[in-house]
Amino acid sequence: MLRIKKNRLLLYAGLLACVIVLPFIVRDPYFIGMVNFIIIYSILCLGLNLILGYTGLLSLGHAAFYGIGAYATAILMTKHGFSFLPSLIVSGLLALFFGFLLGLPTRKVRGDYFCLLTIAFGEIFRLVTQAWINFTGGAMGIVGIPIPEVLGWKIQTEIDFYFLGLGLLGFTYGTLHLLTESKFGRAFVAIREDELAASVMGINTPMYKILTFSIGSLYAGIAGSYLAVYQTTVTPSNFRLEESCLMIIMVIVGGMGNLAATFVGVSVMAVAIEFFRPVPEYRLLIIGLIMILVLLFRPQGLLGAAAFKD
Amino acid sequence: MFIDVLIVGIMVGAIYTLVTIGYSMVYGMLKLMNFAHGDVYIFGTLLCYTLLAQAHLPPLLGILIAALAGGILASMVEFFAYRRLRAAQHRMISMITALGAAYVIQNASELRWGSQVLPFPSLFPSQLVTVLGHQISVTPIITLAIAVFFIVAFNLFLNHHKMGKAILCVSQDIPTSSLMGIPINRIISMVYFLGGMMGVVGGILYSASYNAISLGMGFRGTIVAFTAAVIGGIGSMSGTLIGGMILGISENIISVYVSSSYRDSIMFLVLIVILLIKPTGIMGKVEQDKL
Repeated sequence: MLRIKKNRLLLYAGLLACVIVLPFIVRDPYFIGMVNFIIIYSILCLGLNLILGYTGLLSLGHAAFYGIGAYATAILMTKHGFSFLPSLIVSGLLALFFGFLLGLPTRKVRGDYFCLLTIAFGEIFRLVTQAWINFTGGAMGIVGIPIPEVLGWKIQTEIDFYFLGLGLLGFTYGTLHLLTESKFGRAFVAIREDELAASVMGINTPMYKILTFSIGSLYAGIAGSYLAVYQTTVTPSNFRLEESCLMIIMVIVGGMGNLAATFVGVSVMAVAIEFFRPVPEYRLLIIGLIMILVLLFRPQGLLGAAAFKD
Repeated sequence: MFIDVLIVGIMVGAIYTLVTIGYSMVYGMLKLMNFAHGDVYIFGTLLCYTLLAQAHLPPLLGILIAALAGGILASMVEFFAYRRLRAAQHRMISMITALGAAYVIQNASELRWGSQVLPFPSLFPSQLVTVLGHQISVTPIITLAIAVFFIVAFNLFLNHHKMGKAILCVSQDIPTSSLMGIPINRIISMVYFLGGMMGVVGGILYSASYNAISLGMGFRGTIVAFTAAVIGGIGSMSGTLIGGMILGISENIISVYVSSSYRDSIMFLVLIVILLIKPTGIMGKVEQDKL
């Protein structure tokens, strides 16, 4: 199943060496901090790319699963004395569960109607976190999330968080790669290319859609858990609709249905956002122009994969 | 009083319908979620604010200029950001360029007007009239009448004018209409132009009746239009009216009798319930899968 050619293996080894030595060469905490955000968005967008690129479900509520993970970790660690690893697992599973619930209507609610359902879910999540002050701290959010510890390793500096993020990202990419190369992955591609033909061929399309949606949400929960300990605070404004839009933009600019392309999309958008931070009044203008220009000249995304059937 | 809440609700519903018409038409025709719609109409409304409150133009002239500007901006967005992508592999691509266009317009408006709430002038006298021994403000009734006038006029145009019929043809089948000699590009530009104009009129009526306008209303407007279009059933004109009315009336009743901080949550809850019961909206047709 997992076919890795020899030169591929060399490439992977080289990449791995690069990312491990990176924080020791560039010691600038500002730069590492930016890379950490790229890592968070990569985890989020890999999951979203599974949903969008492999089954064609447009989800504009991904930030809600991100938020579910973040709030679960924040509440478990500040109020119930959980340590980081169990909170991470609970966060992921909770996001998976809500992903499953929101995925259930895909059996009946189709296309853009489903997209609106995800927007509604995301907005209700954000509005509830704002209003339910006893549980989520309202608009002020939850502050003072303790320093995480994994097997005796205290994660404090930007570099520590870099390696924690790298580990989570490696887990995300590895499991998704295995999944998309497996029988499941071929079913996903069949559904994406032609849903009707796939179902005629005996692929249980509703089951696969629900499955993809829940799995994609699981990774958002993991990313949220990481965000909670990294920022030490979570507020509802971290999980607005704009965040979900940004994730979709990153996936599409990179190229739908191509996991490796997600890194390119995330990095391009993150660098663009960071680069224009000194001129905040023109930021959206420039980002909007980049989005339009990239897609006018490369409609399939920078590293676009297979052609889609409409 | 419940009757006042209801009247204001119907007025807001009619305004939402105006804003949604352009969105729903583009949607029905090109299957494109036009994320720039809200920002286009808010641009026109802000322009109207400048013309009326700062340049002191006569209201009708100011509204006309603003509506034309909104229409032209909408068709420019179509020309620059969407036209080349109409044949793209996946319609999600033009959705993202739409979002890009929304960002550009939003940012440009912010540079000129900022993001604070601006005091939009009232357009109508705020007299009270007594109907059946009950005092009712005139403003929402005039606003409602104007909104209804535009909705009816637009429907007459769509069903009886040659151009309107061409629009209906194109939304049924683009290649066939093209073979019948309908100039597709011109019709699509026209749809954007009309949609933008109606949106600006809706925006002006809304801002005038609440005496407030802010940039943030743009993105919310896009979501409201999307929600109203989906509740009613995408591409259906009567559905647009029903969707707009459901949103407007329920929104007002909830803010008055429950709490305005739960207004949007309940709006989305209504939406979820409607979609779970009727997955294609109230007036929507079930699309058959084609081989």
